[in-house]
Amino acid sequence: MSTLQTNGTLLEVEDLRVAFAAGGREVRAVDGVSYKVDAGSTLAIIGESGSGKTVGCRAIMGLLPAGTAISGSARLRGTELIGLSDAALRKHRGSDMAMVFQDPARSLNPTMRVGAQITEAIRTHRKVSKSEAHAQAVELLRLVRIPAADRRFYEYPHQLSGGMRQRVVIAMALACRPKLLIADEATTALDVTTQAQIMELLLELQQELDMALIFISHDLGLAASYADEVVVMYAGKIVEQAPAKRLFGAGGTVKMRYTRALLDAIPHLERPAHTELPVVSGRPPDPTMLPPGCSFAPRCPSAADDCRTTAPGLIEHAQSHRWACWHPCENGGAA
Amino acid sequence: MTQAPEGRPPWDAGGSEQKKPLLSVRDLVQEFVVRQAGGTRGGVVQAVSGVSFDIMPGETLGIVGETGSGKSTLARAVLQAPRPKSGSVRFREMELTRLSGSALIAARRHMQFVWQDPFGSLDPKWQVRSIVEEPLAAHRAGDRNTRRKRVDELLDLVGLDPARYAKRHPRELSGGQAQRVAIARAVALEPSLLICDEAVSSLDVLIQAQVLNLFERLRRELGLSYLFIAHDLALVKQVSDRVGVMYLGKFCEVGPGELVYKQPLHPYTKALLDSIPSTEPGAARATATLTGEPPSPISPPSGCRFRTRCPRAQDVCASEVPQPRELGPGHLVACHFPLSQPAPAGTGPAVVPQATTQATAKAQG
Amino acid sequence: MAIPIPDATLSTAAPPPLPSLVSARQLRAQRIGRALRLWVPAGILIAMLALCFLWPLVYQLPSPTNGNIIEAQEPPFSPGHWLGTDAVGVDIFSQLVYGGRVAFEVSAATTVIGMVIGCALGVTAGYVGGWTDAVISRVLDILIAFPALVLALVIAEGLGPSEMHVIWALAVFSIPAFGRVSRGATLVVRGLPYMVAARLAGTRGWKIIARHVLPNIMPGIVTFSLLGIGIVIILEGALDFLGYGIPAPGASWGSMIANGQQVLTAQPEYVVIPSIVLLITVVALNMLGDALRERWGVQ
Repeated sequence: MSTLQTNGTLLEVEDLRVAFAAGGREVRAVDGVSYKVDAGSTLAIIGESGSGKTVGCRAIMGLLPAGTAISGSARLRGTELIGLSDAALRKHRGSDMAMVFQDPARSLNPTMRVGAQITEAIRTHRKVSKSEAHAQAVELLRLVRIPAADRRFYEYPHQLSGGMRQRVVIAMALACRPKLLIADEATTALDVTTQAQIMELLLELQQELDMALIFISHDLGLAASYADEVVVMYAGKIVEQAPAKRLFGAGGTVKMRYTRALLDAIPHLERPAHTELPVVSGRPPDPTMLPPGCSFAPRCPSAADDCRTTAPGLIEHAQSHRWACWHPCENGGAA
Repeated sequence: MTQAPEGRPPWDAGGSEQKKPLLSVRDLVQEFVVRQAGGTRGGVVQAVSGVSFDIMPGETLGIVGETGSGKSTLARAVLQAPRPKSGSVRFREMELTRLSGSALIAARRHMQFVWQDPFGSLDPKWQVRSIVEEPLAAHRAGDRNTRRKRVDELLDLVGLDPARYAKRHPRELSGGQAQRVAIARAVALEPSLLICDEAVSSLDVLIQAQVLNLFERLRRELGLSYLFIAHDLALVKQVSDRVGVMYLGKFCEVGPGELVYKQPLHPYTKALLDSIPSTEPGAARATATLTGEPPSPISPPSGCRFRTRCPRAQDVCASEVPQPRELGPGHLVACHFPLSQPAPAGTGPAVVPQATTQATAKAQG
Repeated sequence: MAIPIPDATLSTAAPPPLPSLVSARQLRAQRIGRALRLWVPAGILIAMLALCFLWPLVYQLPSPTNGNIIEAQEPPFSPGHWLGTDAVGVDIFSQLVYGGRVAFEVSAATTVIGMVIGCALGVTAGYVGGWTDAVISRVLDILIAFPALVLALVIAEGLGPSEMHVIWALAVFSIPAFGRVSRGATLVVRGLPYMVAARLAGTRGWKIIARHVLPNIMPGIVTFSLLGIGIVIILEGALDFLGYGIPAPGASWGSMIANGQQVLTAQPEYVVIPSIVLLITVVALNMLGDALRERWGVQ
């Protein structure tokens, strides 16, 4: 059933750079990002706003506006995606890779019935009859665990709750069984209980369809719970990259100071109330004026002179664990 | 259990008996008429249906709930913006629901609000200095110079250098800075109660931590009480002394933070806690223990509103509204079959799949 | 481990010389485009205003109303007549200049009246709501229902044509237009958190309107008024064309077009020249309105 390269590399991104002009200045949204996604695995891209996590994936999907300068390479099963014409990319979108966005209310056409939107997605990529598309759409609604799928087919988006809508959007994305699904903050707008349902659904779908999943989020907890591999981004660059177990598991080691700061700043259930959180001062750098040296240096409590002058490269210091830091944390403990 | 003559609600068994509560809310009800296209009535959203609680001076009450729980509506109803449909809100012995005009303005001076959107709550055309000065000017607190000095003090208090920020406009600020300006304005008149409605939810994680620390510092230095509303459970536990869990307009469970989180007694609270993805090493993976969708607040289920998704629901849950009962020190639950008892025989309307039940058992054990 | 919260200063050192992905040409083009879109129409309008109002003070122009029949139909660039003269010997350039004065005066007066009265009504209706809103909105609707031109004709018939009557008649159109726009803008602003914050702070109603509502709706009102000026100029021209505006022999663009209509086939320039001037003025106003909207971020 599975195609060739079941355990091979599905997506290989190399030195991806994205920049655009805004207000007369250059914004470096993504500044040299490289990672690999294996078939059937789950990658979490974590970062705050302005880190470039969304822009990078949209560049791969070809969803950035004209006038954006993109360089570097993103190869999906050997096919280079950067620089492809829109027509060629459209063939890949939906059949090889699909994307699900944050706000399901905005991804769905409010004036079209839900089922019609799915059949539209199906018939864009495959030549099937209307009745065949209808049957496949109902099947997809069942696949995403929507109860009474054949009735829901005829409903409008506003009649569904947020979680249901997101399932419909996922169903649309899965219309042609893509090998790669990118979920861009897909659960951020949902309640925590719905979020858990959707994440479990995505993992089950991965198993059933042998699909790789990239999910983008600011929530490290999601990465810890659901990802195989984690990439942490800051100011357009990857600052730490490791399997989730290495970062969060028992005896987990977090090396880069920014990741450590993120972990410490999240409220933990274990902490007693009214404790003061360890904070990092300042805010993310202006993407039009990136400082020389490490982008995190202005805020890092352990910054030294070499941090401010030379940017650390992303180097694999330990087995499958890369970080970009001159003075990483010791033993993963609190800084 | 008996009720104090003052009418302390069953919800408030905790806290010192001597001190009078700062804020006392009883049976608050708020409803909205839904207008369909064309202006016809489409039903009534029962956003808040009979909520009662007290906040003692210096205490932080956290309210947690998901979309549709009515927590934001509750916050606005306490403020009388807009007025609740019925119920009583006593703040410092003043009945707010009966005040209006300048009396209401005078009463509200001691109660302030921090919104979720830092930029929405600041007038984009005003300078930071004027924004923070506005409450002082409106209440004629001192002359121009005294007010200016106070503004500088307030900006310092929230960690913004007055020399650099006083003359800026909100568009020149980041989210975290804008929220700090909003906080400076909120504490300008030295209120006793600060209502925070998702006040840090739109901020990045690191900035969020900064602002939370600021709240903590203000709590210590100014002796503020907080009504802190959020959907992030860990966040609410971090800042609160007591936590209330809301579902579809009513409280399910209220109690000291540690108790509610360590030993949740209401099935909804348990489901919420199980859904949180955790970064703690060795924590059980988040599981979705709730099936189905939240019912509509326009026609909530009869009896216990949670029964349509509750794995322990029985017939009595549909016919009788569960009343809050004190099952632990200061820990109250509104449930016919709280988790302190073994699961009732038979299954409820919503059956939890076998696998998930095992996961729940594992996480619990 | 607590770390205090000073506000970190970003290092303002010069960015490193990394290879730029966005061409410098692209960046420059963006900047220049934005500036041009604002200053070209603004420049045109300023030049026209200066020409119409200041130039005659400096340089004695021939009369725009009385012509010497001997000098009739002189071609452009004749001595003493820069654009020539029309069929009865009146200097065309003077007519344009003085006609421009009328156009700008009428449109400015109408717009100011509309803005002051219309916004007062609209903001009150939007802010107070309830019955006040219902009553004011109905009044505005009634006013808008009047076709402006027909009303102007009626007034002119009854009271005789004059510049003041034109202004009144067009104000009937301008007031409800501003009323509607300002009411809508006020409704949007009223729901924003900072309004609730202002009430919580204890600010009184009228002060909230003056210091919170008005400054925030002004950008939208100003851009709307620029479009409005353009519309009023056209309407005024139409009234003059029909003979119900500025009484003859007063100069105005509309009457120029009306007079030139009679010799359209023989000397089309009598129609074309004032039409082009009218066109340029209105287009410049619209472009300026758009550029300001872009700059101020108005919807």
